[in-house]
Amino acid sequence: MQRTTLLLTLFLMAAAAFYAGSRRSLDIVRGHTRELHSLPSYYGYFTALWCGLPALLIMGLWLAFETSIITHLVIAELPPAMQSLPDERINLIVNDIRNQVGGSAFAGESDPLIQAAAARYQRLKDISAKALTVVVLAVAIAGATFARQRIRKEQRARNMVESATVVFLIVCSTIAIFTTIGIVLSVLFESIQFFERVPVTDFLFGLHWSPQMAIRADQVGSSGAFGAVPLFTGTLLISAIAMLVAVPIGLMAAIYLSEYAAPKFRATAKPALEILAGIPTVVYGFFAALVVAPFIRDLGMQVGLSVSSESALAAGLVMGIMIIPFVSSLSDDVINAVPQALRDGAYALGATQSEAVRHVIIPAALPGIVGAILLAASRAIGETMIVVMAAGLSANLTANPLEAVTTVTVQIVTLLVGDQEFDSPKTLAAFALGLVLFVATLILNVIALYIVRRYREQYE
Amino acid sequence: MNIIAEPQNEIKKERPKMRYLETDRPATPFAREHIKTVGAITVDSPRITCRNVNVYYGTKQAIDDVSLDIGRNAVIALIGPSGCGKSTFIRCLNRMNDTVIGCRVSGRIGIDEQNIYDPQMDVVLLRAQVGMVFQKPNPFPKSIYDNIAYGPRIHGLAANKLELDEIVETSLRKAGLWDEVKDNLAHPGTGLSGGQQQRLCIARTIAVGPEVILMDEPCSALDPIATARIEQLIDELREQFTIVIVTHSMQQAARVSQRTAYFHLGKLVEVGETAQLFTNPMHQLTEDYITGRFG
Ligand SMILES: Nc1ncnc2c1ncn2[C@@H]1O[C@H](COP(=O)(O)OP(=O)(O)OP(=O)(O)O)[C@@H](O)[C@H]1O
Ligand SMILES: [Mg+2]
Repeated sequence: MQRTTLLLTLFLMAAAAFYAGSRRSLDIVRGHTRELHSLPSYYGYFTALWCGLPALLIMGLWLAFETSIITHLVIAELPPAMQSLPDERINLIVNDIRNQVGGSAFAGESDPLIQAAAARYQRLKDISAKALTVVVLAVAIAGATFARQRIRKEQRARNMVESATVVFLIVCSTIAIFTTIGIVLSVLFESIQFFERVPVTDFLFGLHWSPQMAIRADQVGSSGAFGAVPLFTGTLLISAIAMLVAVPIGLMAAIYLSEYAAPKFRATAKPALEILAGIPTVVYGFFAALVVAPFIRDLGMQVGLSVSSESALAAGLVMGIMIIPFVSSLSDDVINAVPQALRDGAYALGATQSEAVRHVIIPAALPGIVGAILLAASRAIGETMIVVMAAGLSANLTANPLEAVTTVTVQIVTLLVGDQEFDSPKTLAAFALGLVLFVATLILNVIALYIVRRYREQYE
Repeated sequence: MNIIAEPQNEIKKERPKMRYLETDRPATPFAREHIKTVGAITVDSPRITCRNVNVYYGTKQAIDDVSLDIGRNAVIALIGPSGCGKSTFIRCLNRMNDTVIGCRVSGRIGIDEQNIYDPQMDVVLLRAQVGMVFQKPNPFPKSIYDNIAYGPRIHGLAANKLELDEIVETSLRKAGLWDEVKDNLAHPGTGLSGGQQQRLCIARTIAVGPEVILMDEPCSALDPIATARIEQLIDELREQFTIVIVTHSMQQAARVSQRTAYFHLGKLVEVGETAQLFTNPMHQLTEDYITGRFG
């Protein structure tokens, strides 16, 4: 049976088990539902779970190990001469066999030995699929029968279903956590490899970034320099410009929306502002590169400043516009969360609206606003597209916003674009940069969340 | 007679006479259906005069044609079942209802003959003149000192730090909080207990030097000791201020007020001298409420 058909069958069987289970519970008490510990449907779920879960589990395990077991069997059947080949060669042979099975190799050209192996591979797969069908259906039926037999009127089906639900929820929530941990670990291990080749201190404190390595020994060119300081300063410079734009505008917008604007206006303006967050960053990027950067350059020329056509200023400005909604939307929420009683208190003392905002509402909302700003900052640090397009790629160590700079994220992209060896320091440097970026945004986010949470507790 | 009782007697003598004659009292109470306000709505030298006040929340009418005078240097208590519009009425007196979206006030409310709903009226000044203490203490998340100093600061009442310190101290003393907080004025006001916070809010209100103080159930969250303290404070404040207090406790109304107004479903049913209203109500609804027969 096809796997999808099998899954569908399993599902139908679970549905049937549900029906059987709830019927059985009703039969036991001869229709007097009140004598049952739980509602009949819970006995149904109980039976359905016993029917579906073990079968699914077996199916999952089976599919996970099927390929490797079959491969092993096929290799074991190969002539001893081939088996004694080194691992890489065996891998190639296995690849050939699989291609043959998949039909992507030309049958005529290949070795008869391989063809035979491919045929065996195919046969084993067929057997495995049939066996899987039989085992899964058998387990499903056994599970359902077992559960149905166990139904008693005092059985706590409701609580059992509850525990199954909890387990399911836990599994779902841990998937996200484990994925994150997996990503972090992989970045960490690659970075460690990088730091084996380039000392950590060189990386963190070096002032020169030029990751090009000679690919062949006889090539002229640099041996690569991995001082990341220019990247850090570039990131800081652009983020700072972005925050300079986003924080005042976003904050003022939030204050206007939450304190002054009529509810109707707020209801339309707030989503409109949030649309800014929905624009793809690549759109902001070409806007920055094609409109803002030339504009700034021309403006600079008119006042006699030399501005490069790719500048930190252009990228920062546009990035600032992009993160306005992060600041404004979150700040608006926290300002709104300030209890009306505090406003009333200020007004009752004869404060004007702006006095109430400045002296009472903003101070009360400050922790939340700081949290919003930090979240926006971590967003700015991680932003790539705008910077690639508008700020350039040259790793200048400068604090002048009119020059081209580059950032950590941009360098990660350029390091990995194109054909790369996977173990050259150049490629591995990307992981090290990723690690730095991750740690930085993590710290910012943790601080932000901590502040926001403290603020929430204050009013609950 | 002890020493404390004497000045109280004096104050009672000074209380303005109400235009209400013993002989007006009917032998049987007015029936429940009687909708015109019973009792003396006017006083001799009113501080606030309300005439035909109606308040609407959207289309819902919360106050229905209320006319009432609030006398100078006296305490008037507003009582009535929950939802009858006491808070709504008291909030009209310093235009706090302006901040409620969809709330509309009609009629005339005058303070010293000036209509406070006049478009020319400076609401900010009005609120400095008519202070308000809310049902739930709402200290600012600032230090105790700054909580009190806030009002004087925004109105420029103190020329220098010394004067400000002075105002803070006298306000806290008047609210009976000084001894408890004098050593930690820099601590946050939100860290005080509920009763202390409420006294802090009262101190904050009197620091601005208002002429009228509105109190919306100021003791609803307080223990009996703190309540007694605040009642004593109200009694002292009466010498300088005009006070309107909303309360659910009839004993409290009887203890602190000279006049009492009974509200029912947005209408002012009866108003009169406190002692008279509680011992010999003229309206059947009032009698039902104060004898607990309200259903
Ligand atoms: N913001 C508002 N929007 C709409 N209706 C309101 C609003 N505030 C009060 N009301 C309505 O006005 C009526 C009077 O309310 P108000 O708060 O003045 O009652 P109250 O006498 O103070 O009651 P309580 O003793 O429970 O405090 C109630 O029916 C209430 O539902
Ligand atoms: Mg109320």
